[in-house]
Amino acid sequence: MAETQDTAAGPESGTRQWNFNTVAAVLFIILAVALFFIIPHQIDKPMIMLGISQTNLPPELFPQVVTACFFGLGVWYLFKSFSIKQSNDLLKLDREAWTNVIVTLVMMGIYVPLMVNLGFVVGSAIMVMAMSTYFGNRNYWLAGLISVAIPMLMFYVFRTVLVTELPPFPIDIYPLTHWSLL
Amino acid sequence: MFESFLAGFELALRLDTMLFIGGGLFLGMFVGALPGFTTLMAMAILLPISFFLDPLLGIPFLIGVYKGGIYGGSIPAILVSMPGTGAAVATTFDGPALTKKGQGRKALEMALYASVAGDLSSDIITIAAIGPIAAVALLLGPPELAAILFLALIVISATSSGVFVKGLLMLAAGLFLAMIGQDPIGALSRFSFGITEIEAGIPLLPMLIGVFALPEIFVNIEKKASEIIKSEDLKVSGEPLRWHEFKACIRTIIRSTMIGTSIGLIPGVGQVVAAFMGYAAAKSSSPTPEEFGKGKLEGVAAAEAANNAVNGPTLVPLLTLGIPGDNLTVILVGAFIAQGLRPGPQLMEQQGPLVFAILIAMVIANILFLVIGKVCIPFFAKVVTIRKSFLLPLTLVFAFAGTWVFRAQPSDLAILVIFGAIGYICKKLHFDVTPMAMGFILGPTLEYSYGQSVILAQGELLNFLFIERPITAVILILTPLATFMMWRRSKRLQAQFITEK
Repeated sequence: MAETQDTAAGPESGTRQWNFNTVAAVLFIILAVALFFIIPHQIDKPMIMLGISQTNLPPELFPQVVTACFFGLGVWYLFKSFSIKQSNDLLKLDREAWTNVIVTLVMMGIYVPLMVNLGFVVGSAIMVMAMSTYFGNRNYWLAGLISVAIPMLMFYVFRTVLVTELPPFPIDIYPLTHWSLL
Repeated sequence: MFESFLAGFELALRLDTMLFIGGGLFLGMFVGALPGFTTLMAMAILLPISFFLDPLLGIPFLIGVYKGGIYGGSIPAILVSMPGTGAAVATTFDGPALTKKGQGRKALEMALYASVAGDLSSDIITIAAIGPIAAVALLLGPPELAAILFLALIVISATSSGVFVKGLLMLAAGLFLAMIGQDPIGALSRFSFGITEIEAGIPLLPMLIGVFALPEIFVNIEKKASEIIKSEDLKVSGEPLRWHEFKACIRTIIRSTMIGTSIGLIPGVGQVVAAFMGYAAAKSSSPTPEEFGKGKLEGVAAAEAANNAVNGPTLVPLLTLGIPGDNLTVILVGAFIAQGLRPGPQLMEQQGPLVFAILIAMVIANILFLVIGKVCIPFFAKVVTIRKSFLLPLTLVFAFAGTWVFRAQPSDLAILVIFGAIGYICKKLHFDVTPMAMGFILGPTLEYSYGQSVILAQGELLNFLFIERPITAVILILTPLATFMMWRRSKRLQAQFITEK
């Protein structure tokens, strides 16, 4: 159970006010309607096998039931949204928080090709160094040591203990690829 | 069932199992001791490790993380009034006051012993209860299973945090996400929108890590400045706990264990509420309630015994019916599925010794819990000083590494980031992701059981339900009533929790 508590409360002085819940409800309804029309085009048709009877269970049945529930819940949410007292915590974020989250997302986006193309150790070292510097670390020697040592340790543990592969460059040298020698 | 229990004993008593449980406990306590890092996040990030291990190593490993994490949060809670996890908030009422009086060591040891006692007792109750429940579950057919799954999903949505309809919408979203890929009956491809990477469905692991672990990281990075805690404040000082001091709290520990065990059986309520309820019950039963909040060992014992006693019973619906009771057990379902085991009635029938071995390993884990906790308390006390500027990027690296080893697909990393963003937005807009994860995991089973039921009904569904399968009809009719009762009880418990807070 989450630690924060949200409660639905009564409307304020009888007025119905649009809020983020109302917008979300409208989006859910639109999504449900769109899904309903998409369903027949997004489900493959079952093969007809001569001599074998089909199950008589249309493949669209369960998706249509879920979509119908989605629509009904969206409508309920729409009516309920005017009486829910919840704050939009996204709007409460200050500039620093937005910047930090966006920068982190960008770094994560860059980390994916770094890791795949340069290898886990190098990619991770760059990521850890950059991120720790951005988040206030100024001890570059310590950062350099940690950003190389920990990913190398992880690479070794994943390879030897768990016998799984992480992207290897440049740690694809003989002693480590033939770990049984260690 | 008894033969399975005995066979499980033999399987559980392995050195490697103990080593991995010990490792899980250590890592769980380590993460639990870090404020801002939750047990849920630890389990999500460490989940991939369990994939590459034998089920008897991987699943007890994660259970060790679970147990250790719940206890670990009490360490900074007691020393610096900073709960490492939500379950340790109630410990801050008396823990820091005891530290100020120079009784920090006593408080930490009481937290440890109460946690072990609560956890051990509830694990034994779980083992005793699981056999009869599993025997009943074996009698269930597809219609009954579909009805129970439906009931469970609705109840979990009702008891999750936030507004009921939002929980249900997240559940429906999860069911839809589960439909992407192939349908479980005819194996027809659907909703892939021409994207090759999701033609087999959305992969479970990146999705779980994304929605449960990454949002916590994003919340932690909102503020750059880290809280620097002086290491002098984290010194474990004072005399050790005496036997007569522990003995004086035994009744409180038993009461809190009962409270925690009962709450563990209610889906969606969890450790946080259990801790507060245990504390409130101890205070109201005490001849000196005015001493609570000013440094009373009984206060620490009550909260810690209750929050750890929740751990065992949450596994009962998981192992017998395949229904996770909270977001932590959702991760365990992921571990089972990755091992090719589907929790539910068939699991107990086909892999009974394995299931009992896991449960017995949980009981044995409590002994390791005691040893590791006692030896490592001074180390865990210092963990809070680790700089977030290093901890956060390293946690991300681990999350990415774990996702990569799942299938070695770059698209999995993209899915991880996408669901991380979704999870963060949901958190900020007060949408609980737990029903979505439940819907995603249980959706295929629900659809399969539903489909089998429709086929068995041969076009006469109502007749089939009410005449041939009356139990199913009763469950479906009672679903709205049960949902309302669970929702009301959950909200009442949450309201009491707010009052105590």
